[in-house]
Amino acid sequence: MSSSDVTPSTTTATADAPRSRVPLGLDLVGSELSVLFRRRRTWAMLVAVALIPILLAIAVRLSSDTLAPGEGPPFLDRVTQNGLFVGFTAMIVGIPLFLPLTIGVVAGDTIAGEAGQGTLRYLLTAPAGRVRLLLVKYIGAAAFCVAAAFTLMIVGILIGALLFPVGPVTLLSGDVISVPESLLRSLLVASYVTVSLLGLSAIGLFISTLTDVPVGAMAATIVVSVVAQILDVLPQLSWLHPWLFSHYWLGFADLLRQPLDLGSFADNILVQLCYIAVFGALAYSRFSTKDILS
Amino acid sequence: MSRNSLKWLPAIVVPAVVITGIVALPLQAGAAVDLPDKSAKDVLLMVADSDVTAFSGEVEKTANLGLPSMDVSAGLSPGMVDQMSEQVPEGMEDFVPGAAATGAMAAALELFSGSHTARVYVDGPDKVRVQVQDSLAERNIVSNGTDAWLYDSESNTATHAEIPAELTADIEEKIAAAQVLAPADLSTPSQIADRFLSEIDPSTTVSVGTDGVVAGRSAYELILTPKTTETLVESVSIAVDSETGLPLGVTVRAVGQEDPAFRAAFTEIDLSAPASTLFDFTPPAGATVDELAVPEMTDGQKPELTPEQQAEVDALRAAPPVVTGEAWSTVVELPADTIPAELRENELLAELTTEVDGGRVLSTSLVNVLLATDGRVFAGSVPVAQLQAAASAQ
Repeated sequence: MSSSDVTPSTTTATADAPRSRVPLGLDLVGSELSVLFRRRRTWAMLVAVALIPILLAIAVRLSSDTLAPGEGPPFLDRVTQNGLFVGFTAMIVGIPLFLPLTIGVVAGDTIAGEAGQGTLRYLLTAPAGRVRLLLVKYIGAAAFCVAAAFTLMIVGILIGALLFPVGPVTLLSGDVISVPESLLRSLLVASYVTVSLLGLSAIGLFISTLTDVPVGAMAATIVVSVVAQILDVLPQLSWLHPWLFSHYWLGFADLLRQPLDLGSFADNILVQLCYIAVFGALAYSRFSTKDILS
Repeated sequence: MSRNSLKWLPAIVVPAVVITGIVALPLQAGAAVDLPDKSAKDVLLMVADSDVTAFSGEVEKTANLGLPSMDVSAGLSPGMVDQMSEQVPEGMEDFVPGAAATGAMAAALELFSGSHTARVYVDGPDKVRVQVQDSLAERNIVSNGTDAWLYDSESNTATHAEIPAELTADIEEKIAAAQVLAPADLSTPSQIADRFLSEIDPSTTVSVGTDGVVAGRSAYELILTPKTTETLVESVSIAVDSETGLPLGVTVRAVGQEDPAFRAAFTEIDLSAPASTLFDFTPPAGATVDELAVPEMTDGQKPELTPEQQAEVDALRAAPPVVTGEAWSTVVELPADTIPAELRENELLAELTTEVDGGRVLSTSLVNVLLATDGRVFAGSVPVAQLQAAASAQ
């Protein structure tokens, strides 16, 4: 009896000691995530994102007109026949503006927000180091990308299933897949959109190191995402298009073809990695040489 | 200070590495390969001997004919035309066929402008599936030997046609018959290659260009160059897979234009047989299905034609197109009334053509079309002046 009482306490003690000493980053990530997701602003943005599919589904449900194929955003005419299309349509509507907007707010706030509140100094007095802080902040922004994309998709599926019949899904190629497989593809689309937003998050992180005014960094990040999309439609710049971070944003349509085409997913990952590398390096250089005054 | 400047190093090095990678990788992929030298005849033989019957791959088509790149097809989908025909006020119905013609013309023009990607699946001579990938949409053409399907995801319509059994059975018989009938000196592929080369020799130089890489495979380049200067075509080159002899791409260059005028090539290819389920197509629930009537074959004789089709055939027989010039500088003349007046007055056509002496010209970097004022149409891969000369000669 007494021996069994002793053993667990000693094991936890030995396990705890290295955990608190070595991977200090993990604790930092944990606290960053809990701060991020306990903020009212974060929840407000996630609710706004969730409203996209909800409003879309309700509007389609309430309108008496049946849509002709090809009218409105893609897939909108299929929504009445199959609720699973709500998620896809909402993703198409959300990705050009709503999602970049929320990412701009979160990524732009990362460093500038702390600087603006005067808490950056205290964060750096803890033996965290600037590189680690930058990494933790980026992981926080990436976690928000995951949350936003999956909220949009999952809420879309739920509201679609609630208001419309659910059945096998017709892919762009005309082939039909079962409900479980279509759910799998929906999650794949959400992952694709998450990856799509990582490049913009890195840009936002860099811009955030440039200023102490968080609103400025947020606005600049959103402007960058709009400018990239404008450049993407100018035919004179076609050589640049494959390297714009927004170029593959709508490429998740390739995940709705049969056989599954992962080519654009791979291209998307490559482009986003380039942006993460370049703007991560810029953010490191800027932040590690910056005079922290606040 | 030096520690700080060291910290700026990544900001310079990482972007430099990324940009170098972006620039260098495509260069490396297109780097010249050195294959054992082959003559044009050898390469032709490889194509003839090719035994690839099943493959799947991705084809990219880029047309740069100097036509304005148009997105009219998107602007005027068949669904919209249907809608218009429902909504037009009475007495205005005549307008709609014109709009439908615009839609058809836009679809034809689409092939010759801009770039498209398609996935292609082939298994044997009668199983084919082509998926033309549009942004957030796809057009599918499926043929499995007995049925042919066309599916457009944007309008959610499927068009079905049955392939008459005789047709597929006939092909093999006809090929066998043709082989028996062929002159004795054409019994081997080598002789056919010789014959082909000597036939086109007066007009065309056939040569083997630089070896290259197409869809990750090393390829020979067979170049056909017109000997005449009275054509808009500078050269036609065909990339031939060095291992299997399968043609991997075609590039057509126009005189005085740096970028290829037309290029269609595989960007990815897999020589294993695609899954057989790909060729079974069932129209999805909710799609509009159109049945396309295929003219019945009666006793393997001439297909039965509707009176309208018969009239068209008769008209074509009565006034066949006149062909002048030869080989690359051929000019085809179509008699007046071939093009319906409503198409002639089409706004889209008016926008595309320019006024010249004797009519209006649709000018592209590869083909010129002269719509003469008297209704005749002249077309050819030749400069406009030659079309005008042909028009005034008669």
